[in-house]
Amino acid sequence: MVHVYNCHPFASQHIVPTDQEPGLVCCGGDALFVVSAAGCKVEAYRMQGEDCPLICRFSTMGTVHRILYSQIGDYLVTIEEKNGSTYLRAYTNWRYQASERTRVGVRLLGHFLRVPSLCGAPKEQMEIIEMPLSEPPQCMACCALTGDLLVGCTRSLVVFGLKRQELGERLVVLDFEMLVVLHIHNWSPSDVALCAGYVALQTELEVLVVKLERMEKRHPPPEDCTPIPSPEPQSPHESDDFFMFPKHLELLGAESKDCGVSVTLEGTGAELGSSMALTYVLYRRFAPDFFRGCSSVHSAHSLHTLYTLSMLTCSLPLCAGNCEGGREPVCVFCFFSLPGAGYMYSLHNPVQLLSTYQYPEKTHEAALCDQFLYVITRNALQCFSVRCSAVAARAGDPYIDTTMKACPPATMEVCALRIQLFIGLRSLCHDGNHIVLITAVDSESKVETGSTTRRTICRKTSRSKQVCESGYGWNLYVITTVPTLQLYTEMVEYSRRYEQTLSHNSLHLLSEAHLLVRSSLLSLRGGEEGDRAQLQNAFRESCAQLGDCFSRLDRRDCHLALPYYKMSGLSVTEVIQRNVARSGDSTSVTDYGKGFLFFLKHSLYEETMEDLSEETANTVLDIFSQAEPAQLPHVVTSPFMVKADPACVLEHLEQLEVSGAPAVTLTLCKSAQALRLGNMQQYCQQMEQHSEMLQVFGFIEEPKLLFQGRGSSVTPTLFAQHLQHTQVGLLVAAMVALHENSKVKLEEADLFFQELCKDCVDRQSPYLLVDFWEALLVASSQDSIIQELLFRLASVYINRITRRDCTGITALKTAEDLINSCFHYGQPYPWVSILTHLSHCSVAPDNHQEDLHKLQSLLCGPTLDISSVLPLLEQLPDTDGAGVSVYVLCATRLGQLESSLERLLEHCPEAVIPYAHHQLHSHMLTLWWQKLFPELCKRARVPSEKGSVLLTALKETVKVVAMELSPLEFLELLPDDGSAHFFLPHLLECSLRHSQSHLTTHIMESC
Amino acid sequence: CTGMSRVYVMADKSTLLKVILLGDGGVGKSSLMNRYVSNKFDTHLFHTIGVEFLNKELEVDGRRVTLQIWDTAGQERFRSLRTPFYRGSDCCLLTFSVDDSQSFLNLNLWRKEFVYYADVKEPESFPFVILGNKIDVSGRQVAKEEAQRWCCENGGHPYFETSAKDATNIVEAFEEVARRVIASDDKQEPLLSTHTVELRRKSRSDPSCC
Ligand SMILES: Nc1nc2c(ncn2[C@@H]2O[C@H](COP(=O)(O)OP(=O)(O)OP(=O)(O)O)[C@@H](O)[C@H]2O)c(=O)[nH]1
Ligand SMILES: [Mg+2]
Repeated sequence: MVHVYNCHPFASQHIVPTDQEPGLVCCGGDALFVVSAAGCKVEAYRMQGEDCPLICRFSTMGTVHRILYSQIGDYLVTIEEKNGSTYLRAYTNWRYQASERTRVGVRLLGHFLRVPSLCGAPKEQMEIIEMPLSEPPQCMACCALTGDLLVGCTRSLVVFGLKRQELGERLVVLDFEMLVVLHIHNWSPSDVALCAGYVALQTELEVLVVKLERMEKRHPPPEDCTPIPSPEPQSPHESDDFFMFPKHLELLGAESKDCGVSVTLEGTGAELGSSMALTYVLYRRFAPDFFRGCSSVHSAHSLHTLYTLSMLTCSLPLCAGNCEGGREPVCVFCFFSLPGAGYMYSLHNPVQLLSTYQYPEKTHEAALCDQFLYVITRNALQCFSVRCSAVAARAGDPYIDTTMKACPPATMEVCALRIQLFIGLRSLCHDGNHIVLITAVDSESKVETGSTTRRTICRKTSRSKQVCESGYGWNLYVITTVPTLQLYTEMVEYSRRYEQTLSHNSLHLLSEAHLLVRSSLLSLRGGEEGDRAQLQNAFRESCAQLGDCFSRLDRRDCHLALPYYKMSGLSVTEVIQRNVARSGDSTSVTDYGKGFLFFLKHSLYEETMEDLSEETANTVLDIFSQAEPAQLPHVVTSPFMVKADPACVLEHLEQLEVSGAPAVTLTLCKSAQALRLGNMQQYCQQMEQHSEMLQVFGFIEEPKLLFQGRGSSVTPTLFAQHLQHTQVGLLVAAMVALHENSKVKLEEADLFFQELCKDCVDRQSPYLLVDFWEALLVASSQDSIIQELLFRLASVYINRITRRDCTGITALKTAEDLINSCFHYGQPYPWVSILTHLSHCSVAPDNHQEDLHKLQSLLCGPTLDISSVLPLLEQLPDTDGAGVSVYVLCATRLGQLESSLERLLEHCPEAVIPYAHHQLHSHMLTLWWQKLFPELCKRARVPSEKGSVLLTALKETVKVVAMELSPLEFLELLPDDGSAHFFLPHLLECSLRHSQSHLTTHIMESC
Repeated sequence: CTGMSRVYVMADKSTLLKVILLGDGGVGKSSLMNRYVSNKFDTHLFHTIGVEFLNKELEVDGRRVTLQIWDTAGQERFRSLRTPFYRGSDCCLLTFSVDDSQSFLNLNLWRKEFVYYADVKEPESFPFVILGNKIDVSGRQVAKEEAQRWCCENGGHPYFETSAKDATNIVEAFEEVARRVIASDDKQEPLLSTHTVELRRKSRSDPSCC
């Protein structure tokens, strides 16, 4: 079923004042070329304006059988016959033929005659270029992008490249160069088409499309690049002993190689031709129409039209003649038509059938442009929609079909926009905003001509009537199509008529109108800024209308309201107004469509949008109260709802509560609103309803209660600010929970706390932030952030110890808490406390001690990477016990025990022995006598205030050494300065114990 | 492809007659064509390069025909540019200048070149017309009788003595050309009469006939 809308794409018609009966016509570049029926004279008319003035008139060199115009190069090409021979000729610089008395130059291709060596000034004259061919030409086509020429002969196709040479300011000399020959076996094309390297050919019931590509020079094409014809048995043309009626067949993409039509490439030695490769793109075959009672293919049932069409995928200016094969951002389409049906394929990857046109009656001919398909039947000109812009838009914009952008589907059903009656239509061609028709009336039907059809289009000239009355019987019409915007407006107005009753029809029409504007935008070139602005307005308007449509219709794809509204440039407020206005006074739930609610939710939750005014925000509350009350807690926390009246919000929330909705998030929302109202009593009441643990879950459900924005624009809410002063533990716990549930990133949380503590002394790492890091370290199981947190905390602690901060703020967690609850904080080594106590004498605030404890504990923990904190130590003085403890801890963890011993001996000999007992084990045991003992001996000898401490230490050391070494080794250690009496008891004990153990060994051995 | 269309009324036998001017460089081929079509004469004409043509409509014996007159470059160096276009000619005008005996002697060569490249099946019956130009100049080197003899001996072709400068005999010569072509067509294609009838019937739509 084809939809037929009665739109008005045709504006006016003019009659072309030809004297002779027109035989062939073609048009392009605003010119209409009419070959007289006798076939040897061409008249060119300008199509703009009402009276179609004659541009010039010239004779051809033979009887024209085919004629074609190429906009690129502004040349005409003909297949003509003279005295039994067929010629292919291109007519260039034809505009110089204004006076018929001007000589016309003739040459073969490849012969530039106007080179300066041959003659002086270039002549401004028409020039005909003859292209010799080995077989008679039958059909031809020009590439609209390059001006290249494709000629179909009985067994081959020839591609000629267009060459241009500028001679002076105005004069351009064209020439052609044979690029490549395609040999086709057992197949004779009746029509061909060429576009951006795609070559389409057709016989009566078959269509084949191949693609020619230039190969990179450095990769010479491998042998099989020229497809070998598939072996006969596989071919669908196969016939066993029976005669097989060909069946319908459609082969897309690579599989079309098996179509059985063999095409081989022959380079022509021309520079570019030698490196061409060929791929099969599409094959389609139709079964003969036996229904009509004839077994052979009758021309009345065979394919009558073949077109290829290219469309830029974005509206960039395209420089003519500068298209390197296939590099332009283009989509290519192929259209062909039987009398009963037409088929539009997209040749872009993937190759696919876009649309099938089921004509209401038998057609003669079709013409395709990027906005419409025109078809003529015997008595009507029909205008159908096409889907090219839907494909091109997608190819050029990856955001289409996301939440950002949308476009009607390329496979959307096509429709007939208009069926315009004419009598005796014979021929059709199209260029820009003109359609050219030839009508010819059989003598029998002439009588009815005047009255029935001619009323339908407004008449601009009365000549035709005279002509009819005087009985000429033929007419040549130029029909002007209406500007895109006018047709667009008509379609939109038309869609309104459907709005109440048949919503899906109105969506279809709006989509058609949208694609119309899109294709117009895509085909715009530079220098049409006014048009562009108008089209873009229409485009936005059309997006808004499609948005409306999807927001109201109950369809599966109602979510498309979102991208369409976004593309429309409407503010959310405007969208709300449009939808509320439509629902009018009646306020039943069903009034707000699913699509609209989807749009609203997505905008409120995910997007950046304007703050809604109080009125609009309250409207939004009403909308959700009716349509989806469960969303209210989320809606009211949207940052764009800040202007909503809190009392009003509370009212809606209470209603929801009464209906028994889940509690915690709702209660938190109510608290937040109470806070906005300044009603502290209500606030407290709400906050007491649930435990902090449950409240944390509430925040996980709706993080926007605490902060808004994302990334670098995170800002704490009023609620969060209040919690900072009243329930900071809850706040920190909530943020940790959000982080662990991936609702907030670490950087966002950092920003959140920094923002909260804007006015604190330490802006870099405020206490609250440190509290958060500590809490996160306790809770987190994400390895990736643990090292980061450890490092940050270590540096904060070091920093504070160095600066001896005394803000008087107590951290949420004490060192003790952390050591007990957090794996990463280790139990400080016993000797550390001696150092710490020493420095305690110097007045230090409590939190300083806490920070020191935490740092020491981190350094004693298993996770911190000690080497990473070394650079931070530079600022820390190593003069007091705190500093020394840190340095020594680090050095010890890194295995630098000797230097640690030295440092301790230097600054705090009291700690040396506890340190040695704790650290000098196993393979480090030797340090007792290799390092500690000699050091002590040396230092004890020098008199100092620490003399007694050192001496005690020495004694302890000697005791250990005596335990561990043999008497001989011990003896060797002793200094020879005569203080033997000091060591003697130890030596004795040592030798005693040694002989005992010796004895024990002996006894053991003798047993 | 941009607007292609097909013939729906097959054209009648064309009345376009291709007439080609051959002869040595400087004998006055371009001048003859200019005089006939535009009735102009230029004493300082450039040598022709390649091939050019002009159309001239005329009526002979009550029949409208279009003569398509092809002017060629006579200089030897342009040979390859002109010879591809001999094919399909309906008549060949062999031209010499009466004040240049060499150009007269070369007529043989020109005829041979034409017959070869035009691929003429029956050279004996092909319509040639011979023009002796520049009869206005003194110092004539080729006698009229000499030229007439050549024409007689080489197939009985008509001979015209012309002057592009003084417009002598030009119209007469070209009208004879048209007549010859029509005559030879009628001879070759006795069925032409049906086409002619067809043509007349269709020409109802041609206002110039009304
Ligand atoms: N006196 C006189 N001069 C003539 C006549 N016809 C041509 N000329 C002159 O002869 C010269 C050559 O004439 P063209 O018409 O250029 O000769 P052409 O045969 O076209 O020569 P190509 O183009 O080189 O083959 C020009 O200067 C003409 O003015 C004529 O009938 N009488
Ligand atoms: Mg000349």
